[in-house]
Amino acid sequence: MARPALAQERVFALRETIARLEGRALPEQAAAEAGLLAERLAECPDRAVAPQGRAEEARLKTDVAAFDQALEGGLPRDALTEIRSLGFRHAGAASGFALSLAALLQAAEPDGTGSPVLWIGERMGRGEAGLPYPPGLKAFGLDISRFFQALPQRLEDALWLAEAALDSGLFAATLLELRGNPAAFGLTESRRLSLRAKAAGRPLLLLRQAGEEEASSAAFRILAEPAPALARRLPDGSMLGGSIGHPVFRLTLEKSRNPAPLSFFLEWNPHDRRFLALDPARQAQAFEPKAAHSGASFSASADRPDPAPALGSVLAFERAFERAS
Amino acid sequence: MVAGRRDNGMRLLALDETAETAGLRMGQGLAEARAICPNLIVIEEDAAADRRLLEALADWCDRFTPLVGLDGTDGLFLDITGCTHLFGGEAAMLQEILTRLTQMGLAVRGAISSAPGLSWALARFDGNRIVAEDEQEGVLAPLPVAALRLDDTLVQALHKVGLRQVGDLLEAPRAPLARRFGADLMLRLDQATGADEEPISPRRPVAHLSAERRLAEPIRAQDDILALAATVAEGLKPGLEARGAGGRVFELVLFRVDGQVFRLSAGASRPLRDPPRIAKLFAERLKGLHDDLDAGFGFEILRINVLHHEVFDSTQGDFEGDDRRSLSLSDFVDQVSARLGPEALQTCQLRESHVPERAFRMEPALRQAPARIPLREAPPLGVTVSRAERPLRLFARPELLETFAVEVPDGPPMRFRWRRLTHRVLRAEGPERLAAEWWRDGEEALTRDYFRLESDSGQRFWVYRQGLYDEVAHPRWFMHGIFA
Repeated sequence: MARPALAQERVFALRETIARLEGRALPEQAAAEAGLLAERLAECPDRAVAPQGRAEEARLKTDVAAFDQALEGGLPRDALTEIRSLGFRHAGAASGFALSLAALLQAAEPDGTGSPVLWIGERMGRGEAGLPYPPGLKAFGLDISRFFQALPQRLEDALWLAEAALDSGLFAATLLELRGNPAAFGLTESRRLSLRAKAAGRPLLLLRQAGEEEASSAAFRILAEPAPALARRLPDGSMLGGSIGHPVFRLTLEKSRNPAPLSFFLEWNPHDRRFLALDPARQAQAFEPKAAHSGASFSASADRPDPAPALGSVLAFERAFERAS
Repeated sequence: MVAGRRDNGMRLLALDETAETAGLRMGQGLAEARAICPNLIVIEEDAAADRRLLEALADWCDRFTPLVGLDGTDGLFLDITGCTHLFGGEAAMLQEILTRLTQMGLAVRGAISSAPGLSWALARFDGNRIVAEDEQEGVLAPLPVAALRLDDTLVQALHKVGLRQVGDLLEAPRAPLARRFGADLMLRLDQATGADEEPISPRRPVAHLSAERRLAEPIRAQDDILALAATVAEGLKPGLEARGAGGRVFELVLFRVDGQVFRLSAGASRPLRDPPRIAKLFAERLKGLHDDLDAGFGFEILRINVLHHEVFDSTQGDFEGDDRRSLSLSDFVDQVSARLGPEALQTCQLRESHVPERAFRMEPALRQAPARIPLREAPPLGVTVSRAERPLRLFARPELLETFAVEVPDGPPMRFRWRRLTHRVLRAEGPERLAAEWWRDGEEALTRDYFRLESDSGQRFWVYRQGLYDEVAHPRWFMHGIFA
């Protein structure tokens, strides 16, 4: 009698492991948890919130329903999330989005004491995009009395620092800035960091400036691009023409469990520390780059002996391949 | 033998025994010496190397006493007050020092007495001996006057009047001597007899506390060193407890078998007393060193010094557990600072200034006392933070822009070129006029007009024009930061 029970137990454990690897909850598991919850409710009503609280803690809600849904309930608190920019010219948008998430994470700490945030910078990034500017960070919604900044000389030191920070479990968010796709930070290293994040239950935001899409063990990869801001809102609800309001990010969810890359326009309100979804259609219209020279534009000549090579690299196949793998 | 330039000519400065038997003497001209002994091997004097050797020897001598002072170019003073019993008495200690240095291939002489001046005289002009307090003058009297550390002119002047031995000076009346030869002679005489206290200036600041372990069998492995460091740190605990203090800066001194001494210092972000945590500081420090620490044939003495200590507030933890969290934050700071250096991890502080690059300062997290890292945000007193928009990232040095179609006098550019890319400005906010701080930059410093620009691609920049149009004819534009 004991043997089948043991086997069943093992099968269940395996199934659970697979489910965990795939990142979704088993129906039985959910049912069991619900049952447990009900049992606990019956036992001691005032303590019963614990499991539910934990489930909620694992995800950070951004208050934008569509975005949360795309992220399967919110930004994971125990995983590696990659934020990518196309080039250092978009460093403002990428670091802005990462820091707004950090501000959100810091504000959402359960005890409200404002856990520290660690920024691990990149030596080259300092010259290319500047260093985080404390008065600006403060205006952006971060608690700068608990903002730590590190600029390690070598990538190995940066990775060690990120690991140590995750291990300590102290930081509401750890931001690791990388430039491009360094060979020393491959799949193994990202897997290592994401396992650390999982074990410590602390988020790591990987900020990859000017990087290509690359297979990594990040739970999500988000491409951050700048987008025109709305005008400032006046107290009566109208807009102040010609002014530059809160920052807007154009986000593309490149790696997730969703079938197609999703795009969002999010506005970050530093005062309320919350995101606001903007209408993509209107933004896209505003985003349409206007011609630098007015006047008739001629169609490009074709079939010439020496055609200009295509600009940029084609990534669609890689992306499809990666999702399949 | 060694030769060097003295008084406009190459002269012999050091001889070995063979050279001495050949009839050469110190101070002889090199040409003359070559004439006497044609197959002379001459090495040019290298004062820096001599100095390094002496420093290394002084380091090595740290094992006997922490108070080791350099004396000129060829001597060391060791203040062994209270240390002799550790080495089995004065005689045994002197014997050990001399034997071990001789084994290293050095010609050494040493003496122990109650005054540094007397020891100097004995070591150079008498022999390896120990002089008790009551027989000082008897020992000193037969020595030549040069043993008093006088300059050559003074020695010659004394010789002229027939004062050749220290005993002659001791018997002579002091007042005429002082009048004729100066107060310096009397000072040296008093120092030699011990009538005048002469301090030895140690090379390194003396540690407040130190603990060490001498090993019969040298150790090499890093794990062994760390395990031993933890037990040695155990020895510091009573001393720190007695002072009610905890160490902030620790130094691990490793004496290698061949005389090389390694010093590793590690700082803690708050006073420490707990031996395992002290050892952990050095664990990170050793890992950070990688291969720079050459264990050679092993280390024979391991010592931990407390270079700096502070009052240890033993606080009682509260039920909320806030205390534990701030403790582990300082642990993290220690861990990182020990491995990557104290400058690696920084915190920021706002400063009272309108000039953007002066409105903040980055400080090593280690330097901030834990009490100053508040758990809840406390606005820094007296710092007014500008209500105007500030960029998220600031360039360390503003970058020059090429601007086109600028609105004169107070407007933003319509287009600008930055890093070889032309940006078209769609919207602009500004100017925010920031005058220079004349008390730091001088009266001529230019006013800056800051603008917030949004380009057609949605990027937001912070640029400024240096100088108003009535200040300079062609003001330049700079990129200073980027917004989110």
